[in-house]
Amino acid sequence: MIYAKSSKYLRISSWWLAAVYLLLVISFTLTSVTSNASALEAPHSVNLYMFWGDGCPHCEHAKEIIAPYAKDHPSVAIQGFEVYYNSNNQAKMRAVGEKLHIDASGVPLIVVGDIPYIGFSDTIERQVISRLEFCSQNDCPDSIAEVVGVEKPSSHSPAKDSVEESGSDVFISLPFFGDVNASQASLPIITIGIGLLDGFNPCAMWALLLIITLLIGMQDRKKMWLYGGIFIATSAIVYFIFMAAWLNLFTFIGHIVAVRAVIGVAAVGIGGYYLYDWHKKRSGCTVAGSQRRKDVFTKLRSMIKEKNVWLGLAGIAMLAAAVNIVELACSAGLPVVYAGLLSGSGLADWQHYAYMAMYVFFFMLDDLIVFFIAMTTLKVVGIESKYARATRLVGGILMCILGLLLIFAPQVLLFS
Amino acid sequence: MKVLKIGAAWCSGCLVMKPRWGEIEKELPWLKTEFYDYDESPEAIRQYNINESLPVAIVLDDDGSELHRFEGEVAKDDIRKKLEILKNQ
Repeated sequence: MIYAKSSKYLRISSWWLAAVYLLLVISFTLTSVTSNASALEAPHSVNLYMFWGDGCPHCEHAKEIIAPYAKDHPSVAIQGFEVYYNSNNQAKMRAVGEKLHIDASGVPLIVVGDIPYIGFSDTIERQVISRLEFCSQNDCPDSIAEVVGVEKPSSHSPAKDSVEESGSDVFISLPFFGDVNASQASLPIITIGIGLLDGFNPCAMWALLLIITLLIGMQDRKKMWLYGGIFIATSAIVYFIFMAAWLNLFTFIGHIVAVRAVIGVAAVGIGGYYLYDWHKKRSGCTVAGSQRRKDVFTKLRSMIKEKNVWLGLAGIAMLAAAVNIVELACSAGLPVVYAGLLSGSGLADWQHYAYMAMYVFFFMLDDLIVFFIAMTTLKVVGIESKYARATRLVGGILMCILGLLLIFAPQVLLFS
Repeated sequence: MKVLKIGAAWCSGCLVMKPRWGEIEKELPWLKTEFYDYDESPEAIRQYNINESLPVAIVLDDDGSELHRFEGEVAKDDIRKKLEILKNQ
């Protein structure tokens, strides 16, 4: 609990609640944008077979391109087969591989008129569209239909989207939020939960306390806000970049089952370490690395004394970046696992970044509260380590659960 | 009896203990206290063997011998009770 309490703090917290509510509303909106990605009309003349994995970002990209195309071209019928969790579809995919004499082990695998396309890129997109146009005008072979048990399409059949298999949406009523789709709400809730847990990790808090201690000694209130603000903003940006790097790595690798399992095992390992740390019952601050802290303190003091405000700001920003980069190793577990989860969400890039921004906001929330209290009351407040310990316990359990779900039931964590 | 309080500006736990010790000092006017900053008092840190965690508060008798050591964040009532016991020994 924050040690100092005042009416000002209570007023601040009501603003925070409003901000949290606003962010939640925005996040639900973000998620719902993608929920109805496609509704396909399929008057048949060409079958496009797509073998895809639930949570695979390249498959999601392919669907985003192909579904609107099929909607605009009634002659194209999409036949989708999810293969991560559906063993029947896996068998069909293997049979297609044997039939076409290809290595059918990666997704997305798209087949148009007996021509297979493995993976998805701008080049493959052009090839698939070109092939669809050709087969719409010409009689292409369709031997895959027999292998997968699909009939050659007839004209004017009812619209059906077999790629986007309809999910079982569950709506729950929440105060203030109204009816919320539970499957869509899970990502915002996980984002807020992990962000807050991560925020209580005291790894980089010492640097903030140092700068606040120095700022409180200043007479210039404007400079205090400016210098403290740049420190917090830089810390947030560094964290955001760090998470974005992991997200892009996971997206680049692809959300294949093996990668998901590795992230799951890492999550269980990190969760186990958190629980061990909680069990040690350590109270207070460890003195390891005190020379580094002393160096930072000396540099911060010289920057705050700098007469040129811009130089001071630049120096503090660089120092904040350096400190946060060094401390990343201390708190890498939760953001890395979260980035792994996000990469498998199947959301658009901008939504990934919006969620990461949301995560970083909640990660920084305790720092922001400590900073605002210090700037308004001119008192530095500390956060009791028992709360950090409690977050180790909750975080450890959460990480273990997330890790086990990623390994054994990843569909629970796939939010799209 | 004297209490040596050892803390640091970067330590959140030390900031938590600071007002607690402030209240204790007001309530026990007979208690003498001294504060040492971990980064600025290397001799005291060596002398009292502070090498794991902060905050630390060391209770000394009139001869300077250590009677008790509070480590980490300790509840105010627990500190008061212990100090009164040590005073009456």
